[in-house]
Amino acid sequence: MNLNSFRYVIDESMTMISRRKAGNAISIVIMGLSLLILGVFLLVTLNVQAVIDRASEEMRVYVYLKDGTPAAASRDIQLKLLALKGVEEVVFVSRDEALSTFRQTLGDNKDMVDALESNPLPDAYRLKIKTEYIRSEYMEKLAGDVGKWPGIEEVRYGEQWLARGERLVKGFYITDLAIGLIIFFSVIFVIVNTVRLTVLSRQKTIEVAKLVGATNAYIRIPFLVEGALQGAVAALLAVGLLAVIHLFAKRYLPGVLFMQGEAVAGFVLFCALLGALGSYGAMRRFLKV
Amino acid sequence: MEQDQRIIVGVYHLSKTFGRHFSLHDINLQVANGEFVFLVGPSGAGKSTLLRMVYMDDSPSSGQVVVGPYVSTRIKRNTIPELRRKIGIVFQDFRLLDDKTVFENVALALKVAGVGLTDIKHQVTDILMRVGLYHKRYDFPHELSGGEQQRVAIARAVANRPSVLLADEPTGNLDPVVTKSILELLFKINAGGTAVLMATHDLDLVKSFGQRIIYLEGGRVVKDKDMIFVGDLREKLAGSPVSEKADRLEDHDITGEGGRRR
Repeated sequence: MNLNSFRYVIDESMTMISRRKAGNAISIVIMGLSLLILGVFLLVTLNVQAVIDRASEEMRVYVYLKDGTPAAASRDIQLKLLALKGVEEVVFVSRDEALSTFRQTLGDNKDMVDALESNPLPDAYRLKIKTEYIRSEYMEKLAGDVGKWPGIEEVRYGEQWLARGERLVKGFYITDLAIGLIIFFSVIFVIVNTVRLTVLSRQKTIEVAKLVGATNAYIRIPFLVEGALQGAVAALLAVGLLAVIHLFAKRYLPGVLFMQGEAVAGFVLFCALLGALGSYGAMRRFLKV
Repeated sequence: MEQDQRIIVGVYHLSKTFGRHFSLHDINLQVANGEFVFLVGPSGAGKSTLLRMVYMDDSPSSGQVVVGPYVSTRIKRNTIPELRRKIGIVFQDFRLLDDKTVFENVALALKVAGVGLTDIKHQVTDILMRVGLYHKRYDFPHELSGGEQQRVAIARAVANRPSVLLADEPTGNLDPVVTKSILELLFKINAGGTAVLMATHDLDLVKSFGQRIIYLEGGRVVKDKDMIFVGDLREKLAGSPVSEKADRLEDHDITGEGGRRR
């Protein structure tokens, strides 16, 4: 393919797109709407994922020390805790600190605390666990091991909540994946087929170009460009509509997240690729010879 | 295989079967450079199939087609576009692109060959003048009459100055007056040195011109008026029922009259 051909191919692509505005618009709307469904799904997943992350981020393990543990022994315990696998941070919470926190938590009922003669709360270490280690079995083992150390009164980490949360998250991921796959493949099907129809509607163009001796590349490139553009524009349309939906959702759920710039770019690129692939696939049967 | 330099299209022992059915059977024919040949036969005789083999849109089941340096049994898929640029093809249904103007339709043939824009402008102008449609260069096909559309199609087919023009029932959709003008245009192109192989079912239309006529019937060449290298075929046919038919055709040809053959 020489330089002239290259220029003609680009011209051809532009003419093709500009002369079929209505057809292209319909294709793009169909593709955009189906991509919107995928977008809404991804947004919901993204936000649920964020909630799950925040929950595990906020999870803490409390290691309560026996009354009267000497400062040196306490420091040893702190070092040992830090050395444990999966422990990210160990913070000492003195009994006084714990009491004042408790008082604040009670709010209007803080008189109950004031009625106490002495502070019943023990000194404690508050551990932050790395997210990837937050699993029922591991936590149970960790708590069990640490609980046997001398000077430890008790280890608590909300085991029931963790187990319940784990079941919930697992259920969510399975459902999410199943729904996600269905939507994903439906969207691929819609895009590939829509692009296919635009190729089929121009079967004659392909035929004539072959008759006059156009190479496969010469015929193919304008269609690939068109398919890619359709995909990209449809993706942008979907992202735009999604942004509007997000704006409304934010009124009711202030913390709702939106896709990052890179994710949007990836989404658009992916759809462009899908459009081009759709074109390529549809043309295969016409360009055999 | 190598063939005589004077021959532009050579068909050698070509057979084509679709399933168990013979569509073309042991076809031998050659078209010399600059020759004008009518390929005549009723619908279903295999004319279109034969032409498709020549522009290599389909390949023979056995035997081969040679067009200039291109041999059907050896040609690579990606060489076919090159072949197509050296032959022109027109059809009964014109096959113009509806969303392109007359000028663009003709220019397409040059664009795919990578010709520069200035040259395209000159050449297309020149060709459109010759077919008498320069004044309609900005029209779209649907704004033209059938005859005009066929002229555009012919202009596109000869834009690359091909050595052979294949025409498959080019006048099939046109009234007698327009038909005549299209034939005249094809003769004019032929006079410029381009060989023309035109398929038609209409013997009455073409028999009076004195050009070579190849008769095709039931997938066989039943008569070839000026056979160049097909002498042995004539012998083979002698005495067979087919040759009787050929004789009848010959009579028919000589009287130059009579009703349509179908």
